[in-house]
Amino acid sequence: MSWRAVLSTIVAILLGAIAAGAQPTPYKAPRTADGHPDLNGIWQALNTANWDIQDHSTGAGAVVSLGAAGAIPPGQGVVEGGEIPYQPWALAKKKENFAKRLTADPEIKCYLPGVPRATYLPLPFQIIQGARSVMIAYEYADAVRNIPLSNPGESPAPAWMGWSVGRWDGDTLVVDVTSFNEDTWFDRAGDFHSDALHVVERYTPRSPDTLIYEATIEDPKVFTRPWKMSMPLYRHVEKNAQLLEFKCVEYAEELIYGHLRKKPGK
Amino acid sequence: MDIFEKSRASELFTSVIALSLLCAIAAPGQVASKTWTQRTPDGQPDLEGYWSNVTITPLERPAELAGKEFYTQQELADQEKKAEVPRSAEEIAGTIAHYDFHQYGLDRTQTKHGLNVRTSLIVDPPDGKIPPLTPEAKKRLAKLAEERKKIGPYDGPESRGLGERCIVMAHEGPPMLPPAYNANLQIQQGPGYIAILHEEIHDTRIIPLDGRPHLGPNIREYLGDSRGHWEGNTLVVDTTNFNDKTNFHGSGENMHVIERFTRVDAETILYQFTVEDPTTWTRPWSAELPMTKIKGPIYEFACHEGNFDMVNNLTQAREQEAKAAEEAAKKSPK
Amino acid sequence: MRTIISVAAISAGLLLTALPALPHHAFGSEFDVSKPLKLQGTVTKWELVNPHSWIRMDVKGPDGTVVNWMIEGGSPNSLFRLGFNKNSLPPGTEIIVEGYQAKDGSNRGVGAKLTFTDGRQLFLGGSAPGANPDDGSKK
Repeated sequence: MSWRAVLSTIVAILLGAIAAGAQPTPYKAPRTADGHPDLNGIWQALNTANWDIQDHSTGAGAVVSLGAAGAIPPGQGVVEGGEIPYQPWALAKKKENFAKRLTADPEIKCYLPGVPRATYLPLPFQIIQGARSVMIAYEYADAVRNIPLSNPGESPAPAWMGWSVGRWDGDTLVVDVTSFNEDTWFDRAGDFHSDALHVVERYTPRSPDTLIYEATIEDPKVFTRPWKMSMPLYRHVEKNAQLLEFKCVEYAEELIYGHLRKKPGK
Repeated sequence: MDIFEKSRASELFTSVIALSLLCAIAAPGQVASKTWTQRTPDGQPDLEGYWSNVTITPLERPAELAGKEFYTQQELADQEKKAEVPRSAEEIAGTIAHYDFHQYGLDRTQTKHGLNVRTSLIVDPPDGKIPPLTPEAKKRLAKLAEERKKIGPYDGPESRGLGERCIVMAHEGPPMLPPAYNANLQIQQGPGYIAILHEEIHDTRIIPLDGRPHLGPNIREYLGDSRGHWEGNTLVVDTTNFNDKTNFHGSGENMHVIERFTRVDAETILYQFTVEDPTTWTRPWSAELPMTKIKGPIYEFACHEGNFDMVNNLTQAREQEAKAAEEAAKKSPK
Repeated sequence: MRTIISVAAISAGLLLTALPALPHHAFGSEFDVSKPLKLQGTVTKWELVNPHSWIRMDVKGPDGTVVNWMIEGGSPNSLFRLGFNKNSLPPGTEIIVEGYQAKDGSNRGVGAKLTFTDGRQLFLGGSAPGANPDDGSKK
């Protein structure tokens, strides 16, 4: 072999090694006993997406007596590209929702939050991963989803938390969610959808104590194209971390039924 | 082999667990289930799946069966025959102004249930009855009743029961007893945890198995705080930290529940519980019933979201009051 | 033995041991036994919600005016388990509802017996002896 060929070979090997060194090997999560990435644990988002999934400045809250404690925190959005591609009529509706969000936001009434909002509420959720299905239990209002890993058939009727089917794509749990009703919002800012909503979630382990969560949103009645949000999810690592009961119906009763109470003296 | 195997539809056959229940006479809680060897991937006895706890056996032994702990096979067959007749809405709900449960598949004849040779779910005390209340409990319940008298039945949402308010249903317990319908739950097992999801009202009991202590005394919950561990093939779940709205046959926040789940065969889990509360009953008491495998899944039961009845009932109550006030005004001389 | 549940007892949150615990009930307080109904009309919407489903139907009065009624039914979850779904009672279906009207006299009632115009019962049929389970409506 000529010295030129030898040199080329050495250079090629070195370049290959540099290239390989420049790419960090993606994190590979430990496996459960049945060989899948282990997503078990108590997780929570650490952002202000529940206030507004887009970039938002701080602002005064709606309840004066709460002062700073009720103010809207600032936050960078979780929508990739920043824009939510509303159809023109839908953008007007979103603004209308925003204007009456204190009465219209389903979260205020302790209604089930839907998907993906359940993921980024300011309360933890727990993934209990079995061989046949993945259950996600949310601390908020006892919301829960069972995600079968085999075909569950058709959904019989629309649901607040939709109808989920899961599958593994390498290290990612992919969940396809359909059959929503039209009653949930994406945040407190009035971002909404129709009953044609289709969400594809991806849960990918990023490190021992973080996941990357992505949700692709498709709704031909409301948006001009699919769009996507993404965020990290953080593991609760404190000893004896546990979901607690947050049954919020009682806190919404005055709001919903107060005007129907028996007035004293009547 | 099932003696009483019936097939009306794929959902509607019953299974016999008489043998395991008979074994339970001598030592409640020690049930032989050497036949069930299926394990979850992480090594727990496999309890996963969809289950119903519908039963035709009453909680307490009927007075006319005093002293009789078990039916004979013929007597059981007779009881089962009687229970095949769907009950009318009037029987179940106390009124004819009601939808027909059977029309909607909500009658208990329309769900599988396990056979039970016992004449009551209660196995201890031996008379099959809930033990007497303590004087403290009687006082507490009398006080609650007094408070109740001060409020009209429809003054506001708090006048109604927790179930009608869609906060929590009594059958969810623990201990878990069957509701009037949708007696369905899903058991899901992950490493170090077992979860029990009730269909009504979508509550998930997440039970850690790592031996951690209970929550501190200042956190109280409707479903209490549960801790589990395996004793051989039996899951033992210990629950404390109930809140002060707990009322399981008169109990209060000091109730302590011990449940045992044993997979007897592919179709059956034997569910046993002991409740104790020295501030409520003079002694602990225990019961057991079979849970039967059903076809899933658990469907969403968004109760609060669909609670039109609360609005309708309160509205009607106000209208009736207004009407009554109007008529009273007409009658009184001015 | 049949036990009539009093409203006051349930308000106190006490469980009656003779009957299974009821998840919720209006105990006839919402609907009036003295206001029986028999309506024939066309389904406009079937709301598959909990704790009660609702059938909305257009009923034509003798004078030709159409009134939309809201008829309460049971939790749909068991129907789902047996293969019924949101398409099982499509808008346009003609049905007959026998039941009771709301106490306030509004266009709301509870459907104690639901049939198609040919007499077949909807869904699984009633609990009365001899009622034939309806399997014709499964889609």
